[in-house]
Amino acid sequence: MQNNVTNSVEPTAWSEVAPAQSEFRRVIRVFFSRKIAVVGLVLIVLLVITAIFAPWLAPYPPNDIDMANTLAKPSGDHWLGTDNLGRDVLSRIIYGARTSLIIAVGATAMSVVLGEILGLIAAYFGGIVFQIIMRFIDALMAVPMLLVALIMASLLGGGVKNVILALGVGMLSVHARMMCAQALSVKQNDYILAARSMGMGDMRMMIQEIVPNAFPALVVVATVGLGAVILAEAGLSFLGVGVMPPYPAWGKMISDGYKYILSNPALAFSPGIAIMLVVFGFNMMGDGLRDALDPRLRGVV
Amino acid sequence: MNAHQNNNLIEIKNLKMYFPITKGLLRRKVGDVKAVDDISFDIKQNETLGLVGESGCGKTTTGRCILRLYQPTSGSIVFNGTDISSIPEKQVRPLRRHMGAIFQDPYGSLNPRQSARTIAGMPLIVHHMIDKKDLDDKVAELFNLVGLDSSMMDRVPHEFSGGQRQRLGIARALACNPSLIVCDEPISALDVSIQAQIINLLEKLQKSLGLTYLFIAHDLSVVQHISDRVAVMYLGRIVEIANSKELYQSPLHPYTKALLSAVPVPNPVRERERVRIVLKGEVPSPAHPPTGCHFHPRCSIASAECEEFIPPLNTISGTHQVSCLKV
Amino acid sequence: MSVLLDVKNLRTHFHTHRGLVKAVDGVSFHINEKEIVGLVGESGCGKSVSMLSVMQLIAIPPGKIVSGSAMFDGHDLLKYKPKGDEMRAIRGAKIAMIFQEPMTSLNPVLTIARQVTETLELHLKMDTQTARKRAVELLKLVGIPEAESRLDNYPHQFSGGMRQRVMIAIALSCNPKILIADEPTTAVDVTTQAQLLELMQEMVNRFNTSLVIVTHNLGVVARYADRIYVMYAGRIVESGLSEDIFLRPLHPYTIGLLKSVPQLGQTKSDRELVPISGLPPNLIDMPQNCAFLPRCSYHKERCRLEPWPELHAVGAQHYVSCYVDTRETS
Repeated sequence: MQNNVTNSVEPTAWSEVAPAQSEFRRVIRVFFSRKIAVVGLVLIVLLVITAIFAPWLAPYPPNDIDMANTLAKPSGDHWLGTDNLGRDVLSRIIYGARTSLIIAVGATAMSVVLGEILGLIAAYFGGIVFQIIMRFIDALMAVPMLLVALIMASLLGGGVKNVILALGVGMLSVHARMMCAQALSVKQNDYILAARSMGMGDMRMMIQEIVPNAFPALVVVATVGLGAVILAEAGLSFLGVGVMPPYPAWGKMISDGYKYILSNPALAFSPGIAIMLVVFGFNMMGDGLRDALDPRLRGVV
Repeated sequence: MNAHQNNNLIEIKNLKMYFPITKGLLRRKVGDVKAVDDISFDIKQNETLGLVGESGCGKTTTGRCILRLYQPTSGSIVFNGTDISSIPEKQVRPLRRHMGAIFQDPYGSLNPRQSARTIAGMPLIVHHMIDKKDLDDKVAELFNLVGLDSSMMDRVPHEFSGGQRQRLGIARALACNPSLIVCDEPISALDVSIQAQIINLLEKLQKSLGLTYLFIAHDLSVVQHISDRVAVMYLGRIVEIANSKELYQSPLHPYTKALLSAVPVPNPVRERERVRIVLKGEVPSPAHPPTGCHFHPRCSIASAECEEFIPPLNTISGTHQVSCLKV
Repeated sequence: MSVLLDVKNLRTHFHTHRGLVKAVDGVSFHINEKEIVGLVGESGCGKSVSMLSVMQLIAIPPGKIVSGSAMFDGHDLLKYKPKGDEMRAIRGAKIAMIFQEPMTSLNPVLTIARQVTETLELHLKMDTQTARKRAVELLKLVGIPEAESRLDNYPHQFSGGMRQRVMIAIALSCNPKILIADEPTTAVDVTTQAQLLELMQEMVNRFNTSLVIVTHNLGVVARYADRIYVMYAGRIVESGLSEDIFLRPLHPYTIGLLKSVPQLGQTKSDRELVPISGLPPNLIDMPQNCAFLPRCSYHKERCRLEPWPELHAVGAQHYVSCYVDTRETS
């Protein structure tokens, strides 16, 4: 205290506002103070590690058929047993993580980029542009996402690329609407008025003034969206219009396995639990991010 | 007035800004909000014109029309000899570097995700008036001008106090060496003890840089302090313009009188001597303004003719103009 | 004149992750019967928190009333449980409050009638019909035209000034001993402000209520307040009769405030404003000595070495907390 006193001769010595802690550190601190969010993060990190290191982690190649050893119960050799073609279930789940992640990231990236550009343009220019884009998005939204994907998959056929395309279009409306809502609210701020009053052009205005301020909400929605895409992909694969066999996919594994649900429950349940954990992980991480990035909590917590 | 013609930086004639009220799916126009309803005034080089009035009187809209953030419904805005009221947005942009704007909310008017350097330097970047390598020097110079420490350049707005943010806003407004600055309630969001710092800074900058201000505020004592002339607005129209001193000493319009009497003075003796004119009722909606003189339903001296005729802005003496049939 | 409310040594602290905020740190004040008291200070000086603490309306946590007493009617309000029946019987009935935002302090989904009659039914145990009649009387009293027909309107159908009138009607409905107005006119226009202040003065005279006006605007209290407390950084730095504070201010902060606000009728050529240098302090980890010291132009060696001075009497009702006699220096 005494130190403080002797230093305070200059009128600005401590009347200066204490520099607020950096935004990034605050976000990290809030995020990690939510236990459930950390659990989500751990699950997602595990998913990513599994996907990347699948060839090293999996005890068997995922598509090796062993007709002598079909529908084996879980054992020391096959921790989760084998399926009707004698393939190791654990290995297929590990490789399935790859499929899920590729599709989730691909479809989300596509829908985020396209959707947010559309939403941004609609919100920024308003008027007739807004009406055209948003009515199109509304129409897209009125059709259930799974149905959109089903139609596209049956037109284009299955396969990872087409599943990405189908789910990307399906998720488009979510991101477009989110961006539109965010941009409309950011547009209300005086700093947008200030930017216009200094003669800033439209492009710079959108990219430098609006997007960075809409960003936090978009990150949250994209995170939760990843989980939704994984769930939708599983649905498509389950219905047989998703990833084509023998490519390992969790949804397909459930649809193959549920016929043996009484005799060999691990076959259907283990990919089911994998899906559940991953979707749960993305949702919890999204919740944590929302708390951490929510401007209403800024400076309060 | 014509005698000063050459001296005027900005001349506004019969400016109208109507916002359409639309209804239903087809956005059918059902009426207008007459935010600014036929006003004329001019501002001389190096002068401060105060624009005062209560919320909804159209003072902010007037400022935004001058900055061409709105496209006026009709009327002319001659800035530096060019009528900017109806030229297309693309041609307005280059002109904007001659005008600066300072906004009320020092929290809302700065992009929270940009550094102070970017914020203050943005006008220069937008108008391609600077090389990347010179930006730091120029921003430091601006910071120095408004009393900010140039070591704070890398901070983001929420790391500044309210007063410092407003200084940053002023630095941004000054970046391109504008001749006119529209100050829209620049101090009303600040702490009392900080307000005087900003007022004095604005006065100092005006002297050293030869700036012209349009100073918009609701607080008459502040406006009167800083302005050379004051225009009083009521419901979209100017009711009185006069020299700052003259407006206080001999207000002519009944609304000006009421407004002056309502402004509290921090002196109990003076306060208790003053007669307070308490206006009856409230400001009507600008969507349905009264006929004739907009003030007549609340006016103590109004008569039948006030309901019928719109009073013109008459010159009483020198620079004193008033819009009242009873004067 | 008898003392209605006597607050002694009130300390309200807030625990935030950045440190302990001593929002109110040793504040003592009193309110006499039928008196209008002004509590003046800048945002964050603790003026609202002091009042909310007395009403026990502080959010706990992060807030905590660390010490102090608030004697009212022979009882210490701070001994009551914040959510207990005793405190509830005081709030609204004996001590009423109106807030700055007339937009948010009325519930938007309830009619004006419901909101005015609620307190009447709750505290005065009136039946619905009587309460409604009383509500019309009250609304007429605060100058709401066509009160009967407007009773069933919703708050959004009222203007800001009208809503504040409704708030005043609700506050006065139980004939409280004290009315606390927390920045009652900050959100309204000057002419409406004049209407509301005149109304409040008339009302407290009629109801024999004491009024506390909490504001940052010196001008607002100059006309109406009998006595004024000036707060800075969680403490009262000067108190006295209105004339003492405005005409014979002694604390450097009060002097600085008065020199820094423009006065009607004076332009820049008449008088230059003298701003208070620096910024209001950040209330976290404050040093022990005077918080105004870094901005003070009168300060002496003693101010740096010794703790924040206590309030001491300099006149009949004039108290100041400063080591320096500013009369000598100037």
